[in-house]
Amino acid sequence: MAVIELLLNGEKKSVDVDPQMPLLWAIRDYAGLTGTKFGCGIAQCGSCTVLVDGGPIRSCAVTTAAVEGLEITTVEGLAKDNEHPVQQAWIEEQVPQCGYCQSGQIMSAVALLDKNSNPSDAEIDDAMSGVLCRCGTYPRIRRAIKKAAKI
Amino acid sequence: MKTSTISRRKFMQLTSVSGVFLAVGCVPGSRGEERIANISNDVSLALNQFISIGQNSRVTLFNHRPEMGQGTFQSIPMILAEELEVDINNVIIKQSEADQEKYGWQMVVGSHSIQNEFEKLRKMGAAAKEILLQAAADQWGTTISDCVAKNGVVTCSSSGKSLSYGELVEAASKLKAPEEPKLKDPENFSVIGQSVPRQDIPLKTNGKAIYGIDISVPGMLHASIERSPVFLGEVLDFNEKEVLAVPGVKHVFKTQRNVFGRNREGVAVLAESYWAAEQGRKALKVRWNNGDLESNTSASIMEEFRKASNGKGDELFSRGNAYEVFSKSQEVMEASYEAPYQSHVPMEPMNAIVSVKNNSAEFWGSTQNPNGIRSYLAKQLEIPEENVKINYTFMGGGFGRRSLTDVAEEAADLSKKAGVPVKVTWTREDDQTQGPFRACSLNVMRGVLKNGKVVALEHKVVSQEIRNQTGENMTAGRQLMGGINTEYAITNLAVRGVLRKLYVPISYWRAVYHSTNPFAHESFIDELAVKAGKDPLDFRLEMMKDHARFRKVLEVVAEKTNWYGTKKPNTGRGVAICERSGAHFAMVVEVERKDGRVKPTKITTALDLGICVNPDTVKAQTEGSVVMGLTAAYYGLTIEKGRIAEQNFDTYPLLRIGECPEIVTHIIQSTADPDGAGESGLPTVAPALVNAIFDLTGRRIRKLPVDLRKIS
Repeated sequence: MAVIELLLNGEKKSVDVDPQMPLLWAIRDYAGLTGTKFGCGIAQCGSCTVLVDGGPIRSCAVTTAAVEGLEITTVEGLAKDNEHPVQQAWIEEQVPQCGYCQSGQIMSAVALLDKNSNPSDAEIDDAMSGVLCRCGTYPRIRRAIKKAAKI
Repeated sequence: MKTSTISRRKFMQLTSVSGVFLAVGCVPGSRGEERIANISNDVSLALNQFISIGQNSRVTLFNHRPEMGQGTFQSIPMILAEELEVDINNVIIKQSEADQEKYGWQMVVGSHSIQNEFEKLRKMGAAAKEILLQAAADQWGTTISDCVAKNGVVTCSSSGKSLSYGELVEAASKLKAPEEPKLKDPENFSVIGQSVPRQDIPLKTNGKAIYGIDISVPGMLHASIERSPVFLGEVLDFNEKEVLAVPGVKHVFKTQRNVFGRNREGVAVLAESYWAAEQGRKALKVRWNNGDLESNTSASIMEEFRKASNGKGDELFSRGNAYEVFSKSQEVMEASYEAPYQSHVPMEPMNAIVSVKNNSAEFWGSTQNPNGIRSYLAKQLEIPEENVKINYTFMGGGFGRRSLTDVAEEAADLSKKAGVPVKVTWTREDDQTQGPFRACSLNVMRGVLKNGKVVALEHKVVSQEIRNQTGENMTAGRQLMGGINTEYAITNLAVRGVLRKLYVPISYWRAVYHSTNPFAHESFIDELAVKAGKDPLDFRLEMMKDHARFRKVLEVVAEKTNWYGTKKPNTGRGVAICERSGAHFAMVVEVERKDGRVKPTKITTALDLGICVNPDTVKAQTEGSVVMGLTAAYYGLTIEKGRIAEQNFDTYPLLRIGECPEIVTHIIQSTADPDGAGESGLPTVAPALVNAIFDLTGRRIRKLPVDLRKIS
């Protein structure tokens, strides 16, 4: 065990954990932010996506020690009350069904739009292909990203 | 599509209430109480178990069905609001407690929530409205027929006076509600049939929605369980000492769960954190007694099915005498179709927390079946049901998997052994390799054409049956014929079932046997159409000319896809129809060959499900059914050495966004009672897809999964 200082949603958070433990569990079980989800544990489904220094990463496949001091943003850190354009677009398009993968979808969309303010269909598919949705919300995700790009 | 709009700010205010509520454990306490605490410090009075109204007129509606993505969290309150005459966008929606006596059966399966509860919910709303009207009439010294309720206000027609529901609720709560209140004419519905935004959605865009996996309770231990990969394998021994030496690990216990009458053994590692439990499990070595089960493979199971298909089978449906026609015919067409095992794959891995105490128990988790867990715990622990508290949350997908109580059984067993609350969390590998699964099946079809018409058809299903996995009764039941269309005007029709007892556990999976039987049935109808030289859609229309609902959905899908127009080069299209939970639907899949690859580009569904409560939700469900249907057409599980070969998403993927075609859903306007929406569309995906592939390539796919990379 080791004390690791995380920079989580702009706040410093010390966690006393196995440094090899994936960041996902530090966020969920130690920092108490449960919006980031466990889906597969092998970086295949994207439910655990968070931003590290603005880029999307699979938090189930990165050790807690590896991100010490880096800026981590989870879905809880996007806005106080769903004000982020991606969240607004997600609500307007009524994207989520069960909602479980949606934090990963939203964080991936945020990262995409930060880099590319007007993505094409192919660019959306490419950026979002790592996040699986069992409920089948993909058509709405495409629409919501296009809408968010205009907000 | 009409979409109701409300200010986003108001929406947030409303939904944040249920957010807080769900975050603290999701179950309101109103059992046996007249008054319930209201968030706004106002006194709220229950007019019945579904409806509470505050003296500030704030209306709270209770949704009694668990929410797994299907959207009844919104559509059940919509039905109440319609008859109660309140603004659906200005109510608080809360999840009800789990109490079968009070709410009836709460399990969410088979697309039943709206169709089974529709009348009851309308009556609940209407009865509450009637006592509010009566309270107003009493106050004004007039009759109920002189009073009109609208938008939470009662107005007296003769005097023009009005009173809000909040002003009337105290008096109304003392009146006896009528058992048979007057219901609205569906022609006058103003909530039902409108696309109303779902109140659960804002919670699902900011991380506030709470799922079972997100819950922690004080003093709990985390359990990770190694279960026999060969399903019925028994624990011989395990290295307890080494596992206990792993930091954070507290206990190692043998455990079990019962899946449809058969015991499944495992070894559980209990630790202070999920991660520590996983580390302990990595150090765990279990020796299993697998008997001779390791000789099983997918091929050996299909071989067993094929042999069994030679038997006569059990009669499930019969009209005319198909066998007599076969015996006298020169040419009997025959084809067989195979579908593999599938895992449910809810994105939220299975989990449950149970705390067992002396004479009580408590459950926290995501479940489709709160009543089932409650009665299981009461029975198993020999305690009264009222001493079992069920806290159910949003589910990160269910698809049938969460209708079982097995994970709660594991948690209860471990909590009893450890003496503290225990949270069991399955890994993705556990989820994919342990089942219970959607059954694999072999469907054998035979048919005879005469003058371009089908004169005889036999559909024989060879599979396992969910309710009969212990093999006590090997007679096939009607469940096995789910999705086999007996409405076609075919004079001689026989449906037969052949059951096999296998050691592979199976269960209800979205649409159940409707997810496999129509693949064979609707593919074979297409094969017959081709043989008869008929257009496959016309062929179906001809055989459905006396069936108004099927005819209508076929006509709509033909029109919307320009079926009779000129087909573009390098494209193909296929059609299929089905009925599921009362809903009738037709689907057209369009495929395109581009750069040497064939892929679906557009999937159009016409759906008649009677009254449609929340059309946007029904469209979302159809989109979900299409995506799940495509996933099941492309991927399947295989058994090697007696166990599932595909461990995780790397070998058993889900459809990805780039593979998702355009999905268009047309809902037929209707005033008939509602049918089920949650599985509609799924049964037709595979047959319409393979029919389209045939149309484009001339190649007939009779075995799922189909690898599109191998089609050109």
